[in-house]
Amino acid sequence: MPDPPARDEDLVRRYLSGDRAAFAALVERHERRVYNLALRMTGREEDARDATQDAFLTVLGKLSSFRGEAAFTTWLHRVTVNACYDLLRKRQRAPLLERGDDDLPALEPPPAPDHADASSLSMDVQRALLQVPEDFRAVMILHDVHDLRQEEVAAIVGVPIGTVKSRLHRGRIALARAMGIEQQERVLEDPKDPPVAGGSPGAAPGAPRSGERADAAGSSEGTVSP
Amino acid sequence: MSHPEDLLAGYVDGTLDERERAAVDAHLLGCARCGVEVRQAEAARAVLAELENVPVPFGVTGPVLAEAGRRFERRPGVVWGRFQWAAGLAAAAALVVVVALNVGGEDARDAAAPERTTAVAGGTGAAIPGAIPFAGLERQTDVNYDDAGIRAVASEAAGAVLAAEDARATQTALAGAVQESKERTDLARDCVDRSGVRGPNDVLIRLIEARLEGTPAFIGVYSEGPGAGQAPDHIVVFVVATDDCRILSTASQRIPSG
Repeated sequence: MPDPPARDEDLVRRYLSGDRAAFAALVERHERRVYNLALRMTGREEDARDATQDAFLTVLGKLSSFRGEAAFTTWLHRVTVNACYDLLRKRQRAPLLERGDDDLPALEPPPAPDHADASSLSMDVQRALLQVPEDFRAVMILHDVHDLRQEEVAAIVGVPIGTVKSRLHRGRIALARAMGIEQQERVLEDPKDPPVAGGSPGAAPGAPRSGERADAAGSSEGTVSP
Repeated sequence: MSHPEDLLAGYVDGTLDERERAAVDAHLLGCARCGVEVRQAEAARAVLAELENVPVPFGVTGPVLAEAGRRFERRPGVVWGRFQWAAGLAAAAALVVVVALNVGGEDARDAAAPERTTAVAGGTGAAIPGAIPFAGLERQTDVNYDDAGIRAVASEAAGAVLAAEDARATQTALAGAVQESKERTDLARDCVDRSGVRGPNDVLIRLIEARLEGTPAFIGVYSEGPGAGQAPDHIVVFVVATDDCRILSTASQRIPSG
């Protein structure tokens, strides 16, 4: 097509002025991003599908009040994250790792991701993501998976940028530990100054979950700073 | 010991300025804990960066688009009868959409008896006011629709349903002149159905193979009603790509009560 693609905000205006196809164009443009954000947040296709529909229906219902103060994508991300929160709350899936709960036993296994396409989605990573507290998970997915800047993430989740920085760092550590990476690094720790988030300081390293440790250790070794 | 927690994410991302980075480097020399955390954060960041987006499964956004169509019809200012029927026909004519509402109807019905049986499930369709027999896949591959054309298809179907309500004795298939094979019809039907938007009382009344703004497409036209023998009250049109059945466009049209 020779014409440049219309901006999101222009599509919103076109829809509001009577062009029904403009909304379909917005959905088509953003459905992949919205669905994948929801999939990472919830870990299940069924939930991602519901959250995606909830998000777009919310947007549809509020398009007429969209004034363009924030970018459309910022707004759409915010609505999607909130739809995921609502859905997770409804499903009563409490996160297993909370900051400071160092020796929290496994209350119940997190729901296994049901995605069949193992080639495009690391099951281990997704499983570990589900163990990271939601607020941290959202920041981490937006920043590290969707490549949004810290400022954009702050606008989406509605917190100061300092909070984004903190959640991003804490979330990454929680993810690494959920993947068993802390076991390998423990020998380096100062016992008088234990880590803050997750982990099981002072305890003999428990048996790592099968299949996770080796991969995680490999990843760690491959990315150690000089 | 205080730890530069606010800087560690940026340190891992490589977005700190020189002064900040030097401060973190100096801290790391004497803080094993932060060193461990940085390595863990780097490992986590690396695995997250490798996650790839997965395709959206079929049917996820279909209901959203259908709802958008319904809401659009309810918008103030969208008034049936004032212009849409005429505009729909005009647009259809402009697109050289040859529609045989009556001409060739008998042939069409004969050619698609199995589909008709399915469309009017249980054989009760004949008794439902406004029922339109399904007449198989129409070949219009030389017709390039745009959104106005799709809306015209919806309007036209709504008009046909209304006409069928008025003249219940003559239920006429909404079909163009050229019919495709049953195999192609089944394929098209399956493709449109995969949009996942059909309700229990949706009945396929028309299926067209054409193009939408250049993209080869199947156009499925459904009548949608409250069930229980009631006349349909909506027409919903779904346009899907022939290659992967993704939804390209949608339209809905309220059928005015006769």
